[in-house]
Amino acid sequence: MSKSTSRSPFGWSNRGGNVTVIEAPVARSYRRRATIAFWVTLGVVGLLAATVASHYLHPILGALLGGVIGVAVGAVVFALIVAWPVLRVFWHWLTEIVLGLVAVYGWNALMQSTPLWGSLLIVALVVGVPAAIGPVRRRIVAWIWCLVVRHRLRMCFAAFIATNRSGSLPLILLARPTPAGERVWVWLRPGLSLRDLEQDGQVQKLAVACWANEVRVMRASRKYAALIRVDITRREPLAAKVLSPLPDYVPTDVPANAPTSPGMPPVGLDLPDVPDEPVTAPTDTPRPRKPRNPTTTTSPSDGFDPSDYA
Amino acid sequence: MDLTDTIELPTTSPDTVPVGAGLSIFDPVFLGIDEFGQPVYLPMIYRNILIGGEPGAGKSSLLNTIVGHAALCPDVRLCLLDGKQVELGLWEDACDVFVGPDLNHAIRTLRRAQTVMDNRYTFLKARRRRKIGPNDLFGQILVACDEIAYFSATAGDKKDQELFAALLRDIVARGRAVGIIVAAATQRPSSDIIPTSLRDIFAWRFAGRCTTDVSSDIVLGHGWAARGFSSNTIDPNNQGAGYLISEGGIPALVKAAYMTDADIIRVADYAAWTRRQSGLTTTAERHATTDIKAAA
Ligand SMILES: Nc1ncnc2c1ncn2[C@@H]1O[C@H](COP(=O)(O)OP(=O)(O)O)[C@@H](O)[C@H]1O
Ligand SMILES: [Mg+2]
Repeated sequence: MSKSTSRSPFGWSNRGGNVTVIEAPVARSYRRRATIAFWVTLGVVGLLAATVASHYLHPILGALLGGVIGVAVGAVVFALIVAWPVLRVFWHWLTEIVLGLVAVYGWNALMQSTPLWGSLLIVALVVGVPAAIGPVRRRIVAWIWCLVVRHRLRMCFAAFIATNRSGSLPLILLARPTPAGERVWVWLRPGLSLRDLEQDGQVQKLAVACWANEVRVMRASRKYAALIRVDITRREPLAAKVLSPLPDYVPTDVPANAPTSPGMPPVGLDLPDVPDEPVTAPTDTPRPRKPRNPTTTTSPSDGFDPSDYA
Repeated sequence: MDLTDTIELPTTSPDTVPVGAGLSIFDPVFLGIDEFGQPVYLPMIYRNILIGGEPGAGKSSLLNTIVGHAALCPDVRLCLLDGKQVELGLWEDACDVFVGPDLNHAIRTLRRAQTVMDNRYTFLKARRRRKIGPNDLFGQILVACDEIAYFSATAGDKKDQELFAALLRDIVARGRAVGIIVAAATQRPSSDIIPTSLRDIFAWRFAGRCTTDVSSDIVLGHGWAARGFSSNTIDPNNQGAGYLISEGGIPALVKAAYMTDADIIRVADYAAWTRRQSGLTTTAERHATTDIKAAA
């Protein structure tokens, strides 16, 4: 009895007790979702199509046609949703698949159009020249890291970042190389927030999974809380000196007419040259001061502590 | 009128027309790069910055970068206060007022700036406006102060120090809308050095390496160390690196750009030259004051 109700055509149990979405195997949950989608699509599309068709045909024929169209569209939706776990994998690996196809078909076409030595030469050039030029090579390696990082992040999200009840993972958007590593934009799905990623140890786990030094997550948009930015740091760009661009604004042919401030004779530059005077009130202020104030210092040379102003 | 214009231009400057560098203080200042290697720009107009950090953290270098940008802006006047003289001293010929270790001169200078500020507000009010814009009737003024502690806690007596802090606070608090910008550096802006009421009104903060989490919090604001932003974690050998609070409101680890002394001298000489040609610096008056000082 309970078996038959839980296998009702609408995909849900009307006995409440055995709605176990999380524990259900992924395939079954997708089939259930697909069944619901099928019936909803059939209803909506069928009704609409039947309404439109009965304007042109006999109402019974129109209703039948609407039903047929509804079933057809529903079947397509059903198939898409059931196949979605597989399609998704294709989508995730699309870049690699396309690159692989280009390599295989390109090699085939090359072999057909040129003799073997020609193809080998062209391949050597296509591979060798970017590998020999430093900036190009680094750019390509950075892009490869971007591809790798997106897969690693997806794995992390699936493995240990808390997901919502229906198990939908954050959408991993663009990845871009930065001088320090990579920057990936992520769109969070309902049930997850930046706080979850900021929790103790989460970003450290991300860093471990991405083979990186450090990972930082922050909001990427003032408008959408769901759009976040994951910064993956592999190199330390702050160690090098950053030169200011201001001198570039100065033309090189400036005449040497810069004024020089009045020179100063080298007097009083060592301790013996400065006499040991009692601390008095400053002479250049018009108002008299209490002379016994011990913190009063007149000239910078005697009350001056160089360690304060290093 | 047309005739004099066409005659005058070639005669004053046959081949070296002292054009300004084409910068404006309304452009954000290039500050350096962030930890991801992206450039960081800091808008300084209508803003003030407080720079803190241990000795040798790179505060004066950062101040020099800001002053350098302003020096290349043809409509910005410079008021430099430097108790250590050499940090901002390279700009002496390009600036309008240079104050060395002389608290009275510092107070007089801030008084002047305050009067200018009041006059400007009166003027704006008469024109029914609330703030200045680019290419306005008057330019902007950058008040850069290295080692505030010298003026606010070391030199002179308590009353003068308090007067200095009060004047500076007034300029920081009210100067924004009339284009008076304050950039100030000090090692540890704790309450015994500068009043907290002055410290807390700086919008932008830069904390170079600090010796403790508490010092870092004093610069950045309370509670950042607990949230993982403590400039105590910066490598002491990585001078110029620090946490910057600016537009995002969240500290960002940045490395400040650096100008070597030769670079500063080149930029300063060029700035002095273009400013003298355009009559921006009051060189005569300044040399008069230095002469008086030398005579005294
Ligand atoms: N942005 C920077 N990049 C590289 N080196 C720097 C940078 N800023 C400062 N330094 C180095 O650190 C030294 C001390 O800097 P300084 O600005 O005088 O520190 P502070 O004023 O904080 O005591 C400088 O002489 C310079 O060699
Ligand atoms: Mg300094």
